[in-house]
Amino acid sequence: MSTSPSTPLLEPALLAQLERLELVSRKIFRGRMKGERRSKRKGQSVEFSDFRSYTPGDDLRFIDWNLYARLDKLFLKLFLEEEDLHFYVLLDASASMDFGDPTKLQYAKQLAAALGFIGLCRADRVRIEQIGPAQQTPGPVLRGRRSMWRMLDYLEQIEPGNNTPLVDGVKNFCLRNSGKGVVVLISDLMEKAGYESALRMLLAQQMDIYVIHLLSPEEIEPDIKGDLKLVDCEDADIAEITVSRPLLNRYKSTLAAFIEHAREFCTRRGMMYLMARTDVPVDRLVMNYLRQRGLVR
Amino acid sequence: MSFLSNALGSWWLWGAFAAILPTAILLLYFLKLKRQPLEVPSTYLWTRTIEDLHVNSIWQRLRQSLLLFLQLLLILLVMFALLRPGWSGRALIGDRFIFLIDASASMAARDVKPNRLADAVKKAGEMIDAMQSGDVGMVISFTNAARVEQTFTSSRTKLKAALADIEQTDHTSDLSEALRAASGLANPGRTGNAEEGDVAVAEALPATLYLFTDGGFDNIPNFSLGNLEPSYTPIGVLDAETSNNVAVVAFNTSRNPERVEQTQAFGRLENYSAADVEVDVELLLNDSVIDAQRTKVPSQGQAGVQFELTDFEQGGLRLVVQHDDDLAVDNSGYAAVNSTRRARILLITPRNDALTLALGTDEAQKLAAVTQLGPEVLPSADVGAAALTEAQKNYQKAADSARYDLIIYDQCAPLEMPQSNTLFIGRAPPLESWQAGKMQSPPLVIDVDRSHPLMQMVSFENVTIIEGFSVKPPRGSAVLIDADIGPLFAIAPREGFEDAVMGFEIFSVDEKGEVLVNTDWLKRLSFPLFVKNVMEYLGGGRSAQRSTSVQPGEPITIRTDAPVDKLYITSPSGAVFPPISRERENTFLFGATDVTGLYEVREKPGRGEEVMQRFAVNLFSPRESDLRLRKTIELGAQEVSGEAGWAPARKEMWKWLLLAGLGVLLFEWYVYNRRVYL
Repeated sequence: MSTSPSTPLLEPALLAQLERLELVSRKIFRGRMKGERRSKRKGQSVEFSDFRSYTPGDDLRFIDWNLYARLDKLFLKLFLEEEDLHFYVLLDASASMDFGDPTKLQYAKQLAAALGFIGLCRADRVRIEQIGPAQQTPGPVLRGRRSMWRMLDYLEQIEPGNNTPLVDGVKNFCLRNSGKGVVVLISDLMEKAGYESALRMLLAQQMDIYVIHLLSPEEIEPDIKGDLKLVDCEDADIAEITVSRPLLNRYKSTLAAFIEHAREFCTRRGMMYLMARTDVPVDRLVMNYLRQRGLVR
Repeated sequence: MSFLSNALGSWWLWGAFAAILPTAILLLYFLKLKRQPLEVPSTYLWTRTIEDLHVNSIWQRLRQSLLLFLQLLLILLVMFALLRPGWSGRALIGDRFIFLIDASASMAARDVKPNRLADAVKKAGEMIDAMQSGDVGMVISFTNAARVEQTFTSSRTKLKAALADIEQTDHTSDLSEALRAASGLANPGRTGNAEEGDVAVAEALPATLYLFTDGGFDNIPNFSLGNLEPSYTPIGVLDAETSNNVAVVAFNTSRNPERVEQTQAFGRLENYSAADVEVDVELLLNDSVIDAQRTKVPSQGQAGVQFELTDFEQGGLRLVVQHDDDLAVDNSGYAAVNSTRRARILLITPRNDALTLALGTDEAQKLAAVTQLGPEVLPSADVGAAALTEAQKNYQKAADSARYDLIIYDQCAPLEMPQSNTLFIGRAPPLESWQAGKMQSPPLVIDVDRSHPLMQMVSFENVTIIEGFSVKPPRGSAVLIDADIGPLFAIAPREGFEDAVMGFEIFSVDEKGEVLVNTDWLKRLSFPLFVKNVMEYLGGGRSAQRSTSVQPGEPITIRTDAPVDKLYITSPSGAVFPPISRERENTFLFGATDVTGLYEVREKPGRGEEVMQRFAVNLFSPRESDLRLRKTIELGAQEVSGEAGWAPARKEMWKWLLLAGLGVLLFEWYVYNRRVYL
């Protein structure tokens, strides 16, 4: 079920493509440090925004002396301040993600690495975290292209089997990261308790939320036959089935309803939802689907 | 006969077998049902999927056990087959069968639906279906002639096709030819060899003869069945004492003897039903009704109808009984009336004033053209062909070419008989079959056959004959005047002609050459009447105003006035037969008289040409019209009673059960391998 560890998370050819991309936020957020993107705040940058009358105490460096020469009045030039973007990737590393070829977890890591690399290239503040308990060590905060190796190392050491319920993991994340930004949740959403409360929690942070729903082809079109005892790898729950054509049809319709429900839930709440199959290459997912969805450009 | 016949021999063994096998299958099935564990990312979706199915879980369980049910069904089928269920059925007797199907007119009777022939074909078809593989059968249809529809074959398809090809005919029935055809195959001929004794020329093969008929034929006493085992299947309502049928059994026309311009048509009806019936009888001339009568026909009795037709010369008459009965073909009678033509008569006499006078009256001239010649035209015995006179040559030619309808030899006789009817007066014909007695005097007339057309209305009561001789006619003749010395006047047929010989002269010539009167008959009124009868009957008057009729299937001889090469005959339905060619001098033989009705004879092809003659084909067969079934028929020394011809046999279905089991097994294999679940 697992992919060979020798497979690199990011192919060199993909890196070249990713360099040209940038992460897009549909909201303009306030960053903590100067970044490469415009902010609502006026500040120091090269991009002109407006003029205002001089009041005592203003920085003399920003007075437009040419204007003073023509009008004999002091005006201050205002510039748009450029800010950084807080970009989070929230990775589901539960045991259910360790299925498929490549495993869903491996696929999620590749996706996280690609998105993180885009952010690093644009000097965004990138943080990759796995859903886990409160006591878990949070992922490092990364900035700048040089941090790519740290990011990859962190991703490599993520192992499947962290079976924290989604809602708990998201709660921990929200407590640790109060700031605004873009968060990408990569999960299979297979939560018996339901994923809705977790998403609502993210929504309360007023973050720009992307949900990437990962499913392996084995889950979409199961190739099983006979009388089976299905064992859940996370909680060892058992479902006894006898595979028949109507049962398979019914499973498919259940799956379709499940996906449709997730899509509708996200869309209604302004979250961007994307169902991804693990047999679609990561580069195509990033370059095509995520571009269309507007996460990158 | 019990329904079950245990193939395992003892019921104890069968019970053990029946108890162990299904139990074993059930156990094996539940062992097999141990589910394979399979780890999946999440049972989340699966649980949700099967939650819905729990609503109809019983059906789900049944569906899941399809293989179990198939196995149980298979073993049940096998066990049922081992019980050998069967029922009392019937089978044919023997392995070689000859199916004789009656296709005569009475088989068109509708007392069984749709008709008797269809019923016979259906029953024969059932027997053919019951034939085992390896059995051979043969189909013969018979009417008054037999027809082999299909020779011996084991192909049931061919036999049934041959059955379907049998056509209803209007013929009468005669079994003897069909029996000969059938027995020829079962009883091969034997050859008598002086050295080896009596040797069969081929191996005798016994066969069962299935006869499907209503028995409308004569018994066949002089027939040896040999290897044939007959079985008679009566077709029709078996126990009926009467039959619902009214038939025309005779229909004819003749001139009214009292009023010459009138033609009379006589019909005879017969009622075979249990009740008296009153029927409308219509007379049609060339398909249009010209007269009708209502007449009452008593039960099991006859009634006559008579119609008067004025100024009627020729045409086709049809007598129709309007009665809805079981047999339609005998509800019509046909009569063909052909135009009168003047007969051609040659009188050869030294001198006979009375005869010349009688033949020369105006009325006689209407009937015939008379030529009179002297006896010198007859070639004498000692003269060769080269020495014949011109007159003798002419006579010879006329006699050979049938130029005359009648030649009267008075006080003379030819060396050879001519191709025409003859009347010999006072001489015997030059034939060995006719012998003349010694001249005796006086012969006393004892009896006159006045029913014969020649002697109708001829009174001989006070006629005196001076001398005469007895005539001894050949077989098949009719004696018209019997005297104390033996037959004095007789008539006999000869190859389509008739010869009448009178054993006394009217005028005679004695040794001195004086003419003497030999009888006072010529003074009586009966003499010219006799001459008229002669002209009408022997002089071709027979064909005039008398209808010619044969039964279906019988050949008919047609004569024409003028010599033609070919005749074109049109059937009652309007179909034109291929032209028939002349057989002998002006005679034609026509055999395709298969359907009843009026046939038209033309000398030239084409519907527009003038109809020269007509003839009628009528059933007129009480045997066919009486639709009652024969309970038994006699074939040779054997009396065969009507029965179904089946032997009781046990019919078993274990083969089919095993086949069904095999089918179930195949289906199970398919389901198992293809994972098909219904």
